[in-house]
Amino acid sequence: MKFERSDTMTAETSDNNITKTFKYSFPTCTNEEVLFKLEVPVDIPHRGSTRELVQRVLNMFHIPVYLEEELNEKLAKFVSEETKNFHNERDMKLLNKLKNSEINVEGIVKGWEKLFKEHVVEFAEQKGTSDEEVFAAAYHKLVHSPALETILQVENSYAKTVMNTLKNRDEDIKKLTQKQTEEMEEKVRLLNTSTTEQEINELATQQFEQQALVAGRWGSQLDALRQTQRAQHRAWLMTTLEEYQSTSALNTPSNSPLATFSGAVATPLAAAAGGERLEESFTIHLGSQLKQTHNIRLVAMDLLELCVLQEADCGVAASRRLQTSLSLYGGELAAAVLLAEAPPARPAPPTTHLLRAAALSTEHHFPDAERQLRDIADRLHDPVERRNTQRLKEQSEGTSSGAGNGSRCRSKRSLQTGDIFITKHSNLADVHVIFHLIVDDSELRSGDITSRHPAILGLRNILKAACSNDITSISIPLLLRHEMTEEMTAAWCVRRAELVLKCVKGFVLEAAGWGGAELRTLHFALPPGAAPALFAALAHLLPNIFRISNPVKVKHHA
Amino acid sequence: MSQENEDDYKFASCTYFARNHPGEMCGSNGLPLTPSSITILGRAQRLLTIEHPNLCTYLDVIRGKHERIIVVAEVIGKSLKECKSKFSYEEISNIGKQVAIALKYLHNQDIIHRTLSDDNILVDNSGRVKLFNYGLYYMTDAGTEVSFPLGLPRYLSPETILNGGGPAADVWSYGIILLEMCIGKLWNNLKPGPILRRILTLVHANNPAERIAREHDCFEQYKQVPENLRKIIEKCLKIYPSERATFNELVEELSQMNSKQLVEVKPARGLMGCKLQHLYHWWQLAGGDIQAELKRNCLIKNSPPILSMPIAILLDGCTIGGKDGALFDRRIAKYSLDLLKSRLSHVPPQDYYPLMHERKKEYDAVALPKIIRERDTEYQFYRLLWFQRLLHGYPYTAPYIRAEAEIDIPPLVRGDVWAALLGVVGDIEEQYERIDKETPTPTDRQIDVDIPRCHQYCWLLCGSAGHRTLKRLLKAWLLTNPQYVYWQGLDSLTAPFLYLNFCNEARAFACLSAFVPKFLHKFFLKDNSAVIKEYLAKFWQMTAFHEPELATHLHEINFVPELFAIPWFLTMFSHVFPLHKIVHLWDALLVEGPALPLFMGVGILRQLRDTLLASGFNECILLFSDLPEIDIGECVKESIEMCRSSPRSISYRRFTNEAEVKDPMDIVEIPMEVLFTEISPRINLSDFFSLICQDKCCVIDIRSNLLYEKSCIDGSINVPYSGVHLGQHELRALGLHPQRVLQEAIKMKKVVVVASAQEETAQLFSDYLVKCSVPKVCILHGGISALLTHVPSLFTVPPKRNGHK
Repeated sequence: MKFERSDTMTAETSDNNITKTFKYSFPTCTNEEVLFKLEVPVDIPHRGSTRELVQRVLNMFHIPVYLEEELNEKLAKFVSEETKNFHNERDMKLLNKLKNSEINVEGIVKGWEKLFKEHVVEFAEQKGTSDEEVFAAAYHKLVHSPALETILQVENSYAKTVMNTLKNRDEDIKKLTQKQTEEMEEKVRLLNTSTTEQEINELATQQFEQQALVAGRWGSQLDALRQTQRAQHRAWLMTTLEEYQSTSALNTPSNSPLATFSGAVATPLAAAAGGERLEESFTIHLGSQLKQTHNIRLVAMDLLELCVLQEADCGVAASRRLQTSLSLYGGELAAAVLLAEAPPARPAPPTTHLLRAAALSTEHHFPDAERQLRDIADRLHDPVERRNTQRLKEQSEGTSSGAGNGSRCRSKRSLQTGDIFITKHSNLADVHVIFHLIVDDSELRSGDITSRHPAILGLRNILKAACSNDITSISIPLLLRHEMTEEMTAAWCVRRAELVLKCVKGFVLEAAGWGGAELRTLHFALPPGAAPALFAALAHLLPNIFRISNPVKVKHHA
Repeated sequence: MSQENEDDYKFASCTYFARNHPGEMCGSNGLPLTPSSITILGRAQRLLTIEHPNLCTYLDVIRGKHERIIVVAEVIGKSLKECKSKFSYEEISNIGKQVAIALKYLHNQDIIHRTLSDDNILVDNSGRVKLFNYGLYYMTDAGTEVSFPLGLPRYLSPETILNGGGPAADVWSYGIILLEMCIGKLWNNLKPGPILRRILTLVHANNPAERIAREHDCFEQYKQVPENLRKIIEKCLKIYPSERATFNELVEELSQMNSKQLVEVKPARGLMGCKLQHLYHWWQLAGGDIQAELKRNCLIKNSPPILSMPIAILLDGCTIGGKDGALFDRRIAKYSLDLLKSRLSHVPPQDYYPLMHERKKEYDAVALPKIIRERDTEYQFYRLLWFQRLLHGYPYTAPYIRAEAEIDIPPLVRGDVWAALLGVVGDIEEQYERIDKETPTPTDRQIDVDIPRCHQYCWLLCGSAGHRTLKRLLKAWLLTNPQYVYWQGLDSLTAPFLYLNFCNEARAFACLSAFVPKFLHKFFLKDNSAVIKEYLAKFWQMTAFHEPELATHLHEINFVPELFAIPWFLTMFSHVFPLHKIVHLWDALLVEGPALPLFMGVGILRQLRDTLLASGFNECILLFSDLPEIDIGECVKESIEMCRSSPRSISYRRFTNEAEVKDPMDIVEIPMEVLFTEISPRINLSDFFSLICQDKCCVIDIRSNLLYEKSCIDGSINVPYSGVHLGQHELRALGLHPQRVLQEAIKMKKVVVVASAQEETAQLFSDYLVKCSVPKVCILHGGISALLTHVPSLFTVPPKRNGHK
C-alpha cells in the first residue's frame, strides 16, 4: 500500500526538509502469517500533528481502529527520531567539513561579526547623538514652549532681511540691465555709421560679464548672510533653551506652553483657506468591513503655493509658519508631490520655482535646497547607473517579449519615469517634504495611461514612503500635470482624475496593512487654471469613487 | 515578611523591529507581501497559551508602528547575569535541573529555544527558576523574520555558527551556562569574532569543556567541580549533536543527583492570587502603558522622522538614504502592579472569591454602554472573577452563564463563554483530529481566493498562520457537513470563531459546527434559494411589523431585500461589519437565539431610516453597496427589544432544526407562495390567546357586521371589510371609533391582530393598515373559524350598539 502525499510541498529535498518513509505492518485478522504492509512518506521535520496524519492513513486504507493507538505512538516516535537524525546528520556534515577545513571559517565568522556589530546594541559601536538630533530636540522643545512667539519673530525678521536683500539685488540687476539695454540700443542705432559689428559684439560680451559679476557679488553676499543667520540662529536657540530650562523650572513650572497658543493656531488657519480658490473637502471611509477615515480636499491651485512664504507680516502667513514649525520634528509631517522632468543635478521648472521659494529665507535646519539637490545627484549616481544598466540588459534580452516599449530609457545615468527624489525643508509655508516625481511630460500630456504606468507606480512608492516616514498629509497633482493645456479637455481630465483617484484609493487601502503612519489628509490639486465647470465635474466624481461618510443617525423612538 | 523590591515586578517587556521587506511589490501569489511583524504576531499566538512552572508566561505580543514588535511576559526575581554572588554546586544543579525541565518541555512541544543565555534565566529568592522570552527563535520563524542575529556569541554551538543547528544546539548552550556558573564568565571582554573563532576551534578538542577551562586558566577550579556535575557538563558540550545528551536524559540524571526539594510556596491570595493574564488585563484597563515604560528606558527612541527621510526612491522600490535599521536592544523594561493595586485597594478580600449562589452586588456600570463597561477596571474585575468561577463549573453552570452573558461578556473570556453558550462539550480535540483537513478538494481553489479577502484588517487573520487555520477550519466543516456546499461568506462566518480561538482550532471548529444548525440551518445547501427566500420574506414582514412606514416606502420603490440582505443573513452580518462589532452583535445573538437576526436586520434599517425614506431606488442601491457606519450598541439594544416584544409565532420559519409543530394551536405555517405575498406576518392561536389574556392586543374583526353581531371575540372591534376604501391610506377613513381604538392601540404599543373569515381579505386589510403606518399588524392564522374551534371561550355576543352608527 502506498500513501499519496497531498501537500503542495512535494518531494524536493532541500536543506530544510527531507522525506522519509514510515513503514508499518500488521497481521490480518484471520491469518497471523499474512502481514499488511504500509508505507507512508513523511516530511521531516514534520509540520503539523502526527495524530492527524494517522487519522488520514486510517481512513484511506481502512485500517482497523484497534491499531489507532499503536500507530499514533509509532508514528510520533518515528517522526521525532527522524527529525533528530535529520538535524544531527546535517550538523555532522557541517562539523566534519569544518574539521577538514573545507569551510571558509573566516567568511562565516566575518558574517556573524558584521551581523552583531550592525544589529545588536551590545556589540555596536557607541554612537553619540548627532548634532542634528541635538538641535532637533532643542528646537522642538523650544517651539513647544512660551518661547515660540519669539522664535517665530526672530525667524521672521531673518527672513525679511533675506527678502530685502533679494529685493535690492533684483533692483540692482534691473537697473544694470536697463542701462545696458540703453547702451546697446544706442550702439545698434549707430551701426554702420560710427560702430562696427565687432564693437557691438564686444559690448555684448562686456555686458554679459558685468551681469555675471553683479549676480556673483549678490550671490556671495546672500550666501554670507544666510550662513551668518544660520549660525546666529543656532547659537541663539541653544542659549535660549538653556535659559528656558533654568528659569522655567523656577518660575513657571506648571505653565502649559501649548495652551496659550492653541487658539491662535486654530482660528487663522480657517482664514487661510479663504480667498477665491476653488476647493471642496470631503471626509471619506475606506475599507469593506473596518472603515478608516480620511480627509480629502480637492483644490485648484498651484502646488508651489504650499511652498512660497508670503510677505511674512500678514497673520495668515505667520500662522501657517507656526503650524509648520510646530510639527517639523514631530510625527505628523506634511508633504507635496512635484512633477519634475529634469534630474536633480540640472533642475528645471517647477523644481527651479521651488528653489526660488526655498531661497526666500534662510534654511536653518537642513542643507539648503540646492545643496540637497547636488548631494542627491551625487549619491544617486552609482545606484541609478547600476539599475539602468541592468534594465538595459534585461530589455535587450527580452525585446521579443515587447517589454521594452513602455519605459523609454533616457540615458544610462539618469533617473527614469517613476523614480523619486526627496528634499526636506523647514522654511516653506505648508510642507516639510517634497517628493519630486520624475515624469515624461509629453507622455502624460497625450494619451491615456494605465494603472501600471511608471508615474502611477511612483505615486505608490510615494505613499508608501509617506506611510513609513510619518507623513500624514500629502498634496498630489490630481491630473499629473501642473498646468492646463489645450489637449486637456473635460473628458480627458475626468478620465485622468478617475484613474489617479482609484489608484490612490487602492494604495491608501494597501498602506493600512503596512503599519506605519496614517495618511490622514490627502489634498488633490488641480492646475490653477481649471475652469469651475471642470472643478465641479471632478468634485462630483469623488463621491462615486470614495464612500463619503455620513454621520451616524441615532433615532430614539419614544 | 519583608518583600524585596524585585518581587514588585510582575511582568516585563522587550521590543524589536521585524525585518523590512526589500522594495518588492508583490509575493508569488500576486498579493502584497505579508509584513514580517504580522507573521511574527501570528506565530507568537501559540506562545501565549503555553503555561509551565519553569517558563515565564507570555502575556501579550503587540505590533507597534513601523514594524515594531513588543513582547510582554511574566518576570520573577532576577537573571543569572544580575546575580553577583557565586552559586554553590547544589544551587547550580538545582538551577540546572529546572532549566532542563523547562527545555525538555519546550523540545517536546517542538519549540527550539536557541537564545538561551544568562540574562534570560530568572531565579527568585526561593530558588525557583523560569526562562524568560524563550520563544524569540520560534516567533521569528527561526530568525528569518528579523534582521538581527539571535542569541549571544558565547552561547552559540559550533553547528549554529555554521548556520545549522537543531534542538541539540540548546543542549550546548545549556552546557555553557552550567560551566559558566561553575568557573565564571567565559570569554569575558572578547568581541564576537574572536569568541566565535574560539568556539569553532573547539571541534578539534576531545573534551571541549576541559579545553575551555584550560583556556580560561580555570582547569584546577574545573577539576574541583563535583564529578557528576562535570559529567553532565561534558555530556552537553560534545561537538557532535548526536553525542550530546537530550534534556530527557539530563532531567533524569539531575533528579537523581538528589538536589533538594524546593520549599513549597503557598499560593498567594487576594489580588496576587489572580491569574497573571487577568492582572495584566486589569492593569491595562487601569491605565497601564507598556510603551511609556519602554520609552522611559530608552528602548523606544523617538528620533524625529524628518531627519531620517530617504533621499530617493527608485521605481522598483529601492530606497536610497533614510533610516538605517534600528539596533536590537536586549534590555527589558519591568512593570510593577502598584497602579492596579491602588486602584483595587478598596476591594474587600472576600470579593476575590465570589460565591455562586449568593445574591450578587449591583454595579452602577451596568447602565453604561457595553464599550465603556469593557474598559472599566473595576467592573471588569468583578465580571472576570465571576465568569471565571462560572466557567469552572461548565457545563453544569450553563444556565448561569447564559443569564450572565445576557448582561455582557468580558472580552478576555469571550471565546470560552461563546463555546459555553453554543453548548460545546466533550473531547473536541479528538473529534477535530479525526477530520482530514489536508487532502485537496475541488472547493480549495475558491477557498484560497476568498481567504485573502476575509477580514484582512485584523492582524491575526491576515497572516499566514491565520490563512492556514481558516482554510483548515473551512475544509473540516465542509467534510463533516457533506449535505452542504461552500458558499462564499462561509469564510466570514468562520472568522469570528477563529479570531476568538486562534490557538484552539478544535474549539473554533466546534463553535462553528454548533452555530450553523442553530442559526443557519440549510443555508449552505447547494440549492438554498427556498431557505433564503423564506428568510428574506420573514425579514420583510418583520420590517413591516416594526417599521410600517419604511416598509411601505421600500415596497413602493421596489427595493427588495434580495438586493442587499442576503450577505447579512448568510453570514449573520459577519461579512458586513468589522470584528469588533460582530462580537457585540453575536454576544446578543447567542443569548437570544435564532429569531434575533431578523430583528437585527430591521434594527439596521431603522438606523438608516431617514436616509432611506428620502432616497429612491438608485440611491438605496448605492447606500447599501457599502454599508454606512452603524451604531452597533444601539442596533443590538433595539433589536432585542423588538425581538422580545414580538409574539414568537410571527417570526416562525419552516427551515429551522427545531422540532416540527404539531399542535393546531401553534401552527402558523403557510405555503411559501402565500408567504411571499403577505406583507404582515401571521400569529398563531396560542400567542394570540396569551396576548388577549395580557390585554396586549387590539383585535380587528373584518367580517360583516351580521356575523360579528352573532358572535365575536371579546373586546374586538368590527370593521367590515366590504366598507373599507383600500385606496385611502388614512385611518380616518375607517370611521371615528375604529380610528380612536387604533390610535389608542398604537400608543399602548399593542399588537394589532386582523381576524377574518377569509384569508384574502385579512391579507388585503393588513396591507392596508401597514400602508396607513400602523405598526405591529399581524394576521390571525386560521381566522375566526379556527379560533372558534380551539378557543371558543374567547367569544361573546357584542353588546347592542346604541347611538353609534
